[in-house]
Amino acid sequence: MESLNPKLLEVCSRCGACYHICPACLNLEGYDPRAVIKDILAGTYEKWLNHKSIWQCLECHHCLEICFQHYGFENAMTAMRTLTAKKRMTPVQVKRGWDMFIKTGRLGEPAAPARKKLGLPEAAKSGAEDFKKIVKIYQERKESEARRQKTDGK
Amino acid sequence: MKDFAIFWGCTIQARFPFLEKSTRMVLEGFNLPYRDLDGFTCCPEKSLVNNIDRGLWVLTAARNISLIDKAGVDLVSPCTGCASNLATVNSELHLSNKEKDKVNSILKEVGLEFKGKNKLRHLVPFFHDEVGIPAIKNKLLKPFNGMRIAIHYGCHMIRPSHALKNDDPLDPQKFDNLIRAMGAESVQYMTKLLCCGQGLDRVDQHENALHFARLKLKELKALKVDAMALCCPSCYLQFDNNQNLMEKEGEKFGVPILYFTELLGLAMGYKPEDLGLDSHRIEATEFLAKWERLHGELSRTTDLNRQLEEGFGIAQP
Repeated sequence: MESLNPKLLEVCSRCGACYHICPACLNLEGYDPRAVIKDILAGTYEKWLNHKSIWQCLECHHCLEICFQHYGFENAMTAMRTLTAKKRMTPVQVKRGWDMFIKTGRLGEPAAPARKKLGLPEAAKSGAEDFKKIVKIYQERKESEARRQKTDGK
Repeated sequence: MKDFAIFWGCTIQARFPFLEKSTRMVLEGFNLPYRDLDGFTCCPEKSLVNNIDRGLWVLTAARNISLIDKAGVDLVSPCTGCASNLATVNSELHLSNKEKDKVNSILKEVGLEFKGKNKLRHLVPFFHDEVGIPAIKNKLLKPFNGMRIAIHYGCHMIRPSHALKNDDPLDPQKFDNLIRAMGAESVQYMTKLLCCGQGLDRVDQHENALHFARLKLKELKALKVDAMALCCPSCYLQFDNNQNLMEKEGEKFGVPILYFTELLGLAMGYKPEDLGLDSHRIEATEFLAKWERLHGELSRTTDLNRQLEEGFGIAQP
């Protein structure tokens, strides 16, 4: 997750220009991103971790497009989701999707029988093997960096 | 036109192979230089992967993009999610050499390098800008004159606009232009740019997902449109599958959901069953019947017009 920018968030917490265009703000009762942002700024965001609200941002980017800071409160929701995932508290379907992604590099394999019936050519080869290799390198580097930060901290 | 790879994405190939079929049919109908490329993975889905591990989101997308860099081709996707995710990472890496170097130091291990030198496009703006309205009009055998079609853009065809640069993010026009070029009326409606809401179905909030589907379908039912047009497998899932679920519970909408490539294919004269229209949960029977009827009427007037034109200037009293 990109780190949050408290200066921009502070403006967000008092603005709300995007509320009239945000599909979740307009159509889901109780959805109030500024309440989340205010708690983030106050450091009291624990209660939002895996709250149903933080999963209601549809990532439609309407807020980003209309925001005079070109920021949008999607960033705050993403931050809350990332922290929720770190604590392994995500909704069941998110966990299922993630497991499949990490295992296969895809969110579903080409449906071979249906393809044949439709007369489609064989699907191109997946890059799962290379994907797994780079994921492994990525995770190793991330872990060693975390260890280094820990020792530096001491 | 430069050669391009088609990025099908997971959802079309796993759940809706008939959408791949109609896409291939229209690409071939226009004789476009497309190819399938080995080695792609999930784009990956931003709302899943970026929320959990941003670095992995960037790395996976960068790897997919590096494959077209290696092949020296552009990329076109009939999936809005894939187009938007790839374009967003592409733009972020162009803005940060530090992040680009980090990604490339890993990609090097599998013989790849992210350059991001080739175009990444969504199929709809690609047809609008690269194929062009005149060429499309020339291919139409059976246009949709008299049909009333409501467009659902799908958020990620046009947003985030700084990365996609496809159309106006708050007042898009290109899909409208294409539907009008096919002869249909693009019905304007209040909830036109509303997000489909399918994302809620992926975070255990099915009732809220249905609520979103209902908002749009109710309005379109009241407006008596003939069909909804879209070009995103996720939006398609929301409006075809979830509409069907609600119809089973007794809520009737009767709005057939047609993919951009299916509409174009029909107008080009391909048969509905060859395009895979019989795989839809919400049947397009009424849409097709009305279109046939109007087309019959239209060909009578076309014939009359031809006779009038033939007679012009050579009339002998």
